[in-house]
Amino acid sequence: MRRALLPWLLVLPSLTLALAVILYPFWEIVRLSASDVSRFGQVRGFAGVGNFARVLADPIFLAALLRTLEWTAAVVGGTVLISTGVALVLVQDFWGRGIARTLVLLPWSISLSMAAIVWLWAFDGDHGMVNATLSQLGLLGRNVQWMARADTAFPIEIGVGILVSIPFTTTILLGGLTSIPGDIYEAASIDGATRAQAFRHLTLPLLRSFINIAVVLNVIYVFNSFPIIWVMTKGGPDNSTHILVTYLYELAFYLGRPGPAAAVSLVMLAIVFGFTVLYVRMQRERSA
Amino acid sequence: MTAGRMLRRSLLCWLALSPLLVLVIFPFAVMLSTGLKPIDEVLAWPPRWLPSHIAWRNFTDMWVAADFGTAAANSLLISVLATALAIAVAVPAAYAMARLELRGRGLYRNFLLVTQMLSPILLVLGLFRMAAAIPFGDGTLVDTRTGVVIIYGAFNIAFAVWMLASYFATIPRDLEEAAWLDGCTRAGAVLRIFMPLALPAISVTAIVTFVAAWNEFTVALTMLRDPSKLTLTLRVVNLVAGRYSVQWNQVMLATLLATLPVAVIFALLQRYLVQGLTLGAVK
Amino acid sequence: MSRRSGTILAAAALALGLAGAARAETVRVTAAYYSDKTGPYFEQMAKEFHAANPGIDIKIEVVNWDNLLQKLQTDISGGTNSDISIIGTRWLLDFVKDGQAEPLDGYMDSAFKGRFIGAFLAPGQIGGKTYGLPIAASARAMYYNKDLLAKAGISAPPATWEELAADAAKLKAQGIAAFGLQGKAIETDVYWYYALWTYGGDVVKDGKAAFASDAGVKALTMYKSLIDKGYTEDGPTNYTREDLQNLFKQGRVAMMITAPFLINQIEKEAPKLNYGIAPVPKETRNATYAVTDSVVLFKNSKVKKAAWKFLDFLFTKDPRVAFTKGEGFLPTTKAEAADPYFAQNARLQTFVNLLPNAHFAPTVTGWEDTAKAVSDAVQSVYLGKDQPAPALKHAAELADQALGK
Repeated sequence: MRRALLPWLLVLPSLTLALAVILYPFWEIVRLSASDVSRFGQVRGFAGVGNFARVLADPIFLAALLRTLEWTAAVVGGTVLISTGVALVLVQDFWGRGIARTLVLLPWSISLSMAAIVWLWAFDGDHGMVNATLSQLGLLGRNVQWMARADTAFPIEIGVGILVSIPFTTTILLGGLTSIPGDIYEAASIDGATRAQAFRHLTLPLLRSFINIAVVLNVIYVFNSFPIIWVMTKGGPDNSTHILVTYLYELAFYLGRPGPAAAVSLVMLAIVFGFTVLYVRMQRERSA
Repeated sequence: MTAGRMLRRSLLCWLALSPLLVLVIFPFAVMLSTGLKPIDEVLAWPPRWLPSHIAWRNFTDMWVAADFGTAAANSLLISVLATALAIAVAVPAAYAMARLELRGRGLYRNFLLVTQMLSPILLVLGLFRMAAAIPFGDGTLVDTRTGVVIIYGAFNIAFAVWMLASYFATIPRDLEEAAWLDGCTRAGAVLRIFMPLALPAISVTAIVTFVAAWNEFTVALTMLRDPSKLTLTLRVVNLVAGRYSVQWNQVMLATLLATLPVAVIFALLQRYLVQGLTLGAVK
Repeated sequence: MSRRSGTILAAAALALGLAGAARAETVRVTAAYYSDKTGPYFEQMAKEFHAANPGIDIKIEVVNWDNLLQKLQTDISGGTNSDISIIGTRWLLDFVKDGQAEPLDGYMDSAFKGRFIGAFLAPGQIGGKTYGLPIAASARAMYYNKDLLAKAGISAPPATWEELAADAAKLKAQGIAAFGLQGKAIETDVYWYYALWTYGGDVVKDGKAAFASDAGVKALTMYKSLIDKGYTEDGPTNYTREDLQNLFKQGRVAMMITAPFLINQIEKEAPKLNYGIAPVPKETRNATYAVTDSVVLFKNSKVKKAAWKFLDFLFTKDPRVAFTKGEGFLPTTKAEAADPYFAQNARLQTFVNLLPNAHFAPTVTGWEDTAKAVSDAVQSVYLGKDQPAPALKHAAELADQALGK
């Protein structure tokens, strides 16, 4: 009896706290999503699936949904790819490795909103150091208004997204690499494996579980990531950089429609949840 | 390995990292450059990296405008307490998951993951209503640092438990079991044998939680209103958002100073961070 | 604490004489951040008011415009809102419809009403009742850089859009960006309304979107041609009003339309700038945009009387003059307008003289949606993604779905 109870007693405080802080707000979102709600949260009546229908019929929502997938795929893909390379370098023994590792971790220390503000300022068309530096290097004939169009603004936002996600991801992967015992490489080199072969057949499989963790966590964080796009373009111009979170925020707090915003929130939850379940299952099958 | 080979390899490694490092350092260079310039040079074209003279008054102006001292103290207090809270509840849970027969372990793990999936943007509405309904002191949890601490603590449980549990699983059981044979109680063994071994993982988890709390914006914005309680991130972002005129030099300086403590922590603990996450991610 | 124990405690407190006269009432005020003077101004007012009314404490919270509505929304939904708040008058109807704002007529006598300049009091009235008092008011006019115009051989600011285009050509020949055109963030729509109105158009008429008219298409086509000919700054969709103001302060754009508060900013940040202020160029008629911010009293306030007392104080002459002067707005009360600072200020008078032709944002629900639809539409035209007529037509459809709902 006591043996069965003790583990749960130990889990209880964390469970209570997490449940208390997340369950009620979650229930609120569910309630709002099915209600006709005023700007100030007064429920005027039951809306059924009206909020969902309204949102799903909005072309801006659909465009934002596609762009969110683009954004998540690009940021997570770019992050994992670059981080893998960076981790492979940082695991080498070289002079100044500690400094290099610290530098790579550096973007982690700025909050997302502040990082977005700094980059917005750096890309400012008239006073920004990006234009200044590029034209000093002779790469730019005249000032570019980076944030004026989605063609330039959105890729920049993706780039900032990647940059801020690299430290965490690299740390996880670096951890993975350090945990691979060195002797298997020695064995491989005795067997006459080239470095490329060793990487493909030894490092990558061993790294896979770490990459999986990095992918899942990054997808969850990036999919819900708000400050970069909101600070830099607010989803504009002409909605051309909206992702679901910024669309949701605008809906809830600028246009005063908490009901449809709650619906978007749930749709988003369903998407991330679906992705995670699918991904984990796929990986399990692959490794089985 | 010869020094020559080492040199070659070092050069290659630094060369491979250099594009990334440029991008990493660039924003800090911008902060430093803009932060030290007088305002007329900030808005001049073409902007130069080096200010004609260092505008020391930016420090005092910014310090007053952002109420930097108070805000930093608030951020420190909130982040430390939130970290302590998260760790305090996460360590036992992680121990149970790693060491004991916990029925429904998978369920609990998945529940934790799901808590991370909800977009906090809208969740704050509900959080706020909840805080407003809980009596605390003379009023409610709204506009209290305690409320923010509880929310931060709760939001960081998932990561903390996840990481600690997988780390704990790698600590060999036999050491503890040997202690039992020596007549140690289970709790005693945990305290004397297990905890010291778990310390690196706990510190790393604490750092990650601390940084998350230090940098958080949305919850703080919604919950806090008394100027004497605002956090640093809140203050700095407020210098920009929706203002009729922005003093960019103050903003950049404030950002730099707000980032510095965290950057120093990373620099000092970089080695442990990698080791900690190493073991933490195995599961 | 249960309600009963609360009652007991209250009774005990009363018995001990803690309640009543000795206990100060606290009035919580949410103020919008206008400039770094806003906070100190309200703190000062709170102090002065408290000195005269020791029984009432005033607690000020200053919130940025970007977060103000969000904060009010969460506050109200949690029932923890302040007693008094500054809001954008365009939001007022939402507050009234939801029963959040207290009608103020019961507190005001005719003398109090008489303090205000009528045109500014009107936007705060809905259905014959007054819900918001105009705490800040502004109109829009065109700032022009005299030196830059002189450099291009132009002696007077353009009075019509045609003249503006002609002048812009001369400025462009000198390598000067002529007309600052806003295409980003809040009021992107308004920047186009300036032109719309001067072409004789309307934004909303009889509760329906009216901007997709002939006048609207002409006005938008004109703006787009300014961009295409290189008469504006490069990439207007990257410029907020504040960005344009910065350009103007540095003498990097020759003309732009904005509010009177730029005067104060120029005085502080670019005192040497040689500039003038002229009406918005016209096509068929003169027009400007006038906008007020309102201060409202919330219905759920428990200290309405004390709160009203503070409002009464804020709208007396000296506090008003201090506020309007500090923030660079237009006077909303007759007494402050008579103050020599305003009466003899040529620059401000340019704005005041425009008021008879001023358009206010109508108090209709769905105004925010309309603003967004129009902003999106003009942005798509500025970017060359769409033509004026279909873009406006689409925006009008979206606006009609939201207007009056």
